[in-house]
Amino acid sequence: MAVSFQQIEEKLKTEARRLLESGEVSLVLAWGKGYDEKHPMPYVAKCPSDADGIVFNEYCTHNPARYLVRYPRGTKIAVAVKAADSRAVVQLIQEDKVKRRDLVILGIPVYGIKNPKTGELIDGKTTCGLYNPVLYDVLIGEEVHGQPVSSPYAVLAEYEAMDRDARFAFWKKELDRCIRCYACRKACPMCYCDPCFIDQRKPRWGEKSPEPAGNLMYHLTRFHHLAGRCIDCGECSRACPVDIPLYLFHKKVAKDCEEMFGQAAGMSIEDKPVLVNFRMEDSDKILE
Amino acid sequence: MSFEPKILGIACNWCTYTGADLAGTTRLQYPQNIRVVRVMCSSRINPSFIFRAFQLGADGVLVGGCHPGDCHYNTGNLYARRRLAVTKKILEFAGLEPGRFRVEWISASEGNKFAQVVTEFTGQIKALGPQTKFKIS
Ligand code: SF4
Ligand code: SF4
Ligand code: FES
Repeated sequence: MAVSFQQIEEKLKTEARRLLESGEVSLVLAWGKGYDEKHPMPYVAKCPSDADGIVFNEYCTHNPARYLVRYPRGTKIAVAVKAADSRAVVQLIQEDKVKRRDLVILGIPVYGIKNPKTGELIDGKTTCGLYNPVLYDVLIGEEVHGQPVSSPYAVLAEYEAMDRDARFAFWKKELDRCIRCYACRKACPMCYCDPCFIDQRKPRWGEKSPEPAGNLMYHLTRFHHLAGRCIDCGECSRACPVDIPLYLFHKKVAKDCEEMFGQAAGMSIEDKPVLVNFRMEDSDKILE
Repeated sequence: MSFEPKILGIACNWCTYTGADLAGTTRLQYPQNIRVVRVMCSSRINPSFIFRAFQLGADGVLVGGCHPGDCHYNTGNLYARRRLAVTKKILEFAGLEPGRFRVEWISASEGNKFAQVVTEFTGQIKALGPQTKFKIS
């Protein structure tokens, strides 16, 4: 990468300070110091001096777009985004949860972000495999090119080829381990329902405590609610304390949606989310 | 004892449910394995209904709506078609036999089609056997 993490951090700080000083925005969403260098945390800068607390290093996996929906409509917000994060912003705009005019998007092209738990490079295997933001106002650094292209769906082949019963056994084993901490839903930029269906008492869709039936209900419905909306940042799976590979299921649904409806989530603010849309030429083939 | 499947039918008020009614009033024979729940439109069907039905012991789920273009609310089934296609893909990737879930467009005048679809679907579910994967034991 031509531009170092250090340089990106400096530029982010400068931009954040400028935006807060000029009053263009009232807060900046980025990353800040955590308990050690390997664990930066989501960070909100609210005044120019807060800008010094911004951190950017190879472990900044969090998706700051997650926090956009927390603020009242009309709040002017600058949000720092990596490639997948920017798709979350686009998707939130499509869903009218935030207005384009209220945002200053600080896009960060970056290759070399690592999972702090495993040290693994974050690429198409666990995320969307893009390295440049799809939408931004200010580019922090320079676009990266010539990095290994990694298909977001290649990882699925093995699971699609599995025998159906084996796949059931695989998911059962994985989902039975869920402790229902709801970190996946907390980390996800597209999980903003209040209340979440699983927290409803009437109707009660499934057990709230960790047990297999409730886990299955929670996860299948969550996969469904994210259909055509998940932008494949992979944060749900990284947040999971028991390492359930949720990203595999989300990727599969994203791939099916792309094949059936010809559109990937969060790529253009002109698009409409695929499940709140239809075309006259849709065919019954998709139901087969 | 031969296996008698439990099938949940979810039918929209304006077409499929009326079609089922017609099948009844014209005394068409079809298997009694289906229990039909009426909803106002196929787009009223929350995918969680389907997941929950399988958990509560359904061996198959059949959804019926108006033909595309004929929905009483004009576009309901056009949204439902996309949504239920996703539901089907999810069931399949989770490891459930896709044949256990089916969507059919049956109009109010298609009593024959209703009887025929139910007969065929019941046969198919019988061949698949009891659904145990999602069922809460
Ligand atoms: S479901 Fe997971 S990968 Fe998809 S947007 Fe939410 S956190 Fe990101
Ligand atoms: S983060 Fe993991 S353990 Fe927690 S609720 Fe989600 S899947 Fe379950
Ligand atoms: S009313 Fe029958 S599908 Fe909408």
